[in-house]
Amino acid sequence: MKVRINGKEEEISGDPTIEGLLACRNVESPNMVSLELNGAILKRSEFEERKVHEGDVVEFLYFMGGGSG
Amino acid sequence: MKNLGFATRAIHESGTRKDAIRPLRFPVFAGVAFDFESAEAMADCFFGRNLDFAYSRISNPTVDLFEKRMTALEDGFASVAVSSGMAAISITLHNLVNAGDNIVAGSSLFGGTYSLLTNVLAPLGVRTRFVPIDDPQAIEAAIDERTRAVFLETISNPSILVPDFEAMSAIAKAKNVPLIADSTVTTPYLFNAARFGVNIVVHSTTKYISGGATSMGGVIVDLGNFDWSSIPSLQRYHRFNEQAFVARLRKEVYRETGSCLSPHDAYLQTLGLETLPLRMEKICRNAQAIAEFLTTQQSAAGVSYSGLASSPYHDLAARQFNGLHGGVLSLRLRDRERAFRFLNGLTLIKRATNLGDNKTLAMHPASTIFAGITEQEMNSLGVDDGLVRISAGIEETDDLIDDIREALKGL
Repeated sequence: MKVRINGKEEEISGDPTIEGLLACRNVESPNMVSLELNGAILKRSEFEERKVHEGDVVEFLYFMGGGSG
Repeated sequence: MKNLGFATRAIHESGTRKDAIRPLRFPVFAGVAFDFESAEAMADCFFGRNLDFAYSRISNPTVDLFEKRMTALEDGFASVAVSSGMAAISITLHNLVNAGDNIVAGSSLFGGTYSLLTNVLAPLGVRTRFVPIDDPQAIEAAIDERTRAVFLETISNPSILVPDFEAMSAIAKAKNVPLIADSTVTTPYLFNAARFGVNIVVHSTTKYISGGATSMGGVIVDLGNFDWSSIPSLQRYHRFNEQAFVARLRKEVYRETGSCLSPHDAYLQTLGLETLPLRMEKICRNAQAIAEFLTTQQSAAGVSYSGLASSPYHDLAARQFNGLHGGVLSLRLRDRERAFRFLNGLTLIKRATNLGDNKTLAMHPASTIFAGITEQEMNSLGVDDGLVRISAGIEETDDLIDDIREALKGL
């Protein structure tokens, strides 16, 4: 399915959870990332259950390091 | 790495990116700015889409390692390293308050903190209610709907009082107000703040953490155990849930006050952390020995140190501080004249205003740190003209006792 991740349209397989998406994309410092799904920031407690769907817009956001958001 | 012991984590905790050279000692990245392969990559970095580095006032790899190591040692959620301990306290409070809000703080505080609260924040419309740390009911009564923080020192400096953090955190939690602990004198080696219900811990890393006063620094650690949705100053960041405190800190207060830690100092402080357990054990043993010796001296009108069995804080401090009692103690002589004669009689112990050095230091708080406040204010902070503060170092214990014995002669 097609999902927009950090501003780019990407093809991902299966229907991963947010936690699964972080793992399969090898996201750096996953304990420090905020995840915005379709404009809403998820709570970390939602990462394990919440699934990614066709057409979702996902943003990985950091406040530690980098430009710090 | 949370299953590893403290000393092991202090040396091995990393979390930083591997590079091609693989140095065992993470280097000083002293540069100001970092290159990007494209304008898009640079925009992504500023948007927060990755952990690349852009500009060292905002973030820096050497500082990042120090922050990660502090987070690990505090069992915390996120850390922000800053330029000094006062910067850590100042920007933590600025992050939490708007004009009209108030802070509840222990009535015995470091002079710089007291001045920040009364001379800097109060004129901006943020009042502090000072309450005795031994009176949980007074603290509970002082908290109202505009209270945004309860601020306590783990061992108040220089009056050496110890709050009961389990009791204080229960009150703060019931009132939905974050509890901030200044753990400078205890360090994470003595005090696991998260275990006692603290929400934010701040340190002057200039002291013990720097490796013995090698450099200036401070750190703020969010322990990840407070729901920030009740804090109005973080309103625009509430959507970031558990990251709300750190998000505003990083994007506004830390960044725009320019309180960044220099990469060179971050390097020294990461190095200092590696020997923290060894130094704290020796420092605490020396402080204990000095305190016990002073209780045998007639010229000492009083000795404040929680390691003394006679201290009202002895059992509480032992329970909270890993069985240790820290490196700072206070000696009461009869008046300023005797305090000065004692200080001038020291030959090995240095007269200096710092604490946490590898050298033992002594000072007269009333004429230095507290010189700018009234006698009444000073007394309310637990300071008087006969008070001498001693910060134990790591020298041979007998040499320190000999120096103190000689200095006390004739008082």
